[in-house]
Amino acid sequence: MTATTENLFEHAYTALRKAQPQEPGWLSELREEAFENFRALGLPTIKHEEWRWTNLKSISGTDWSPAGPVHITEEQLKPYLIPNDDEIRLVFVNGHFAEQLCKRPPLPEGLIVEPISRVLDSDEALQLKLARYAEQTNPFTALNTALFTDGAYIRAGNGITVETPIHVLYVSTVDEPAEISPRTLIFAGESSDIRVVESYVGLGTAARLVNAVSEIVAKGNSHIRHVKLLRETDATAHVGWNEINVERDAGVTAHSICLGAALARNDVHAVLAAEGAECTLNGLVLGRGTQHFDNHVVVDHRLPHGRSDQLYRAVVDDKSRSVFAGKVIVRPGASGTDAQQQNNNLLLSDNAKVDTKPQLEIYTDDVKCSHGATSGQLDPNAVFFLRSRGLDERAARNLLTFAFANDVIEHIKIDAVRNRLEEIMAERFAGLLGG
Amino acid sequence: MSAPLLEIKDLHVAVDGTEILHGLSLTVNAGEVHAIMGTNGSGKSTLTKVIAGHPDYEVTKGDVLYQGKSILENEPEERACAGIFLAFQYPVEVPGVSNMYFLRSALNAQRKSRGEAELSGAEFIELVKEKAKLVDIDSGLLNRSVNEGFSGGEKKRNEIFQLAMLAPTLAILDETDSGLDIDALKTVADGVNSMRDAARAFLLVTHYQRLLNYIEPDRVHVLLDGRIVKSGGKDLALQLEDKGYAWIEQETATA
Repeated sequence: MTATTENLFEHAYTALRKAQPQEPGWLSELREEAFENFRALGLPTIKHEEWRWTNLKSISGTDWSPAGPVHITEEQLKPYLIPNDDEIRLVFVNGHFAEQLCKRPPLPEGLIVEPISRVLDSDEALQLKLARYAEQTNPFTALNTALFTDGAYIRAGNGITVETPIHVLYVSTVDEPAEISPRTLIFAGESSDIRVVESYVGLGTAARLVNAVSEIVAKGNSHIRHVKLLRETDATAHVGWNEINVERDAGVTAHSICLGAALARNDVHAVLAAEGAECTLNGLVLGRGTQHFDNHVVVDHRLPHGRSDQLYRAVVDDKSRSVFAGKVIVRPGASGTDAQQQNNNLLLSDNAKVDTKPQLEIYTDDVKCSHGATSGQLDPNAVFFLRSRGLDERAARNLLTFAFANDVIEHIKIDAVRNRLEEIMAERFAGLLGG
Repeated sequence: MSAPLLEIKDLHVAVDGTEILHGLSLTVNAGEVHAIMGTNGSGKSTLTKVIAGHPDYEVTKGDVLYQGKSILENEPEERACAGIFLAFQYPVEVPGVSNMYFLRSALNAQRKSRGEAELSGAEFIELVKEKAKLVDIDSGLLNRSVNEGFSGGEKKRNEIFQLAMLAPTLAILDETDSGLDIDALKTVADGVNSMRDAARAFLLVTHYQRLLNYIEPDRVHVLLDGRIVKSGGKDLALQLEDKGYAWIEQETATA
């Protein structure tokens, strides 16, 4: 990989280092190393296999400066909230903690929900975990480590269960092109059980780059339900990396729901690092206009008796485009692995486009793996069937489209999130299909 | 005397440019049960689809009148709302859409088009309970996605359940009996028999005479190469059972 522009992000890096003179030494070292990595790696181009379907010209051609803190009102945030009586909410605007917009009821003992900036000195676990999971060989991950201003730190102590979803909102609102690098660390201690929603929300019309990294760690026998909700503006390029590490008998269920962005690339990299680890990685893309969504998923089965499930679906209308690349790796010795992967795409317009690349790399016997991909339009027989029972054509097409997408949504076992998404979809499809 | 419920006149139908029906005529009055029998490829399914309004079937000549008016320009949903129902030979699976949600949407769409009030949740559930008993459908199937993972027999029962729920004026059953064991066949027949009344007509398209042991037809028609070549009473079905279709083919060829 070579950089397409010399000195890319140098300005942003220098500005941020000046603004953060008080940072602890361990973090400064991490950042320096990460930025060195980024300098060496540069931005990927379409010549790179993993990026062949997603062109980053719009990112590499702009001199991004870091976005500054801005005040927004609760009213502006309202459409993006997930109604829930006793929610726990952390809000960051342009990468800066917005305390007045947060909701932090008394938390159960053993649960920490804090902005990273406030616990840098006090929380030793943070120092040990941050940037220790996501590989710094990915240029955007390295860039995020170098540039992040703040983000959510969520740590559940051993054995605690928190059924209330923890909602982290990363809002961007800029007047001129700017870069925002949110950083998240979610750490579930042994036998704990937590639910986390990350919403990426855009306000305002100026172009921006949101480069997010989340490290999600499930210790032995713990369970995490995670949802990433992408609701960026049509002028936003979003690049996100979810690093998921699952230990013995633990399970992570993660959903990536792509509703908005001009261009979005989501990488999910899940390591099943111990025996009996499980993960479910699902995704939904609802594309319209000229939106471009690219989901790359890798599941790495390293030890025996792991189980992984992937269901990624895309509904693309107008000239929108969806890319899915899913890879399942079963390492030598990871016997008894059960890995399933499905990618289904629904094209609502002749100009919409889908690329899909399912891959299996299996280095051991005694595994159960399957994958499949489909792309097509609504089944004309199903449309006719519904019409023959009295539904008009639009209602029939809407119902089938909703059902196709809802197959992913109904896997989300956080009621408030699922209900809100069903509402959003019901509104959305009426519009998608010529409302 | 009012117009026949269904009147098909010299109907020619093509699919992808190939003519399948070559001048089919048929009259069905309210209160009657007609059976259409014929070999594979004779045009039976084409006939049912064209009455229901499938967009792939092009009428090149002739007309289909329902309650005295041509329906060829009507959309499938308009025909459904006017009381025409087709039980599919191969019921369609609709993943992600529950039977109950689908049926309530369909029923209310039909009621709305007739200027009737939509059914409330409670009224709908009452109706479901009553009709489910009638067709002996497992209540577990009602909450599942339409036909998804259903056995062949369950799918056919589900078609009859929809028939019972929507209570059409003209019910067309396209080989609903094919592949059914005797229990399921009796359920289908009981469902149809219980719905027979003076205002309603049935068109039973079938491959096998067996169904007609349980549903007694008023008229039996033999469809051959896109035309009705012979019509008669229920005895005609028994003759076909005994002798097959070859004698009719010969009769037609020499006629």
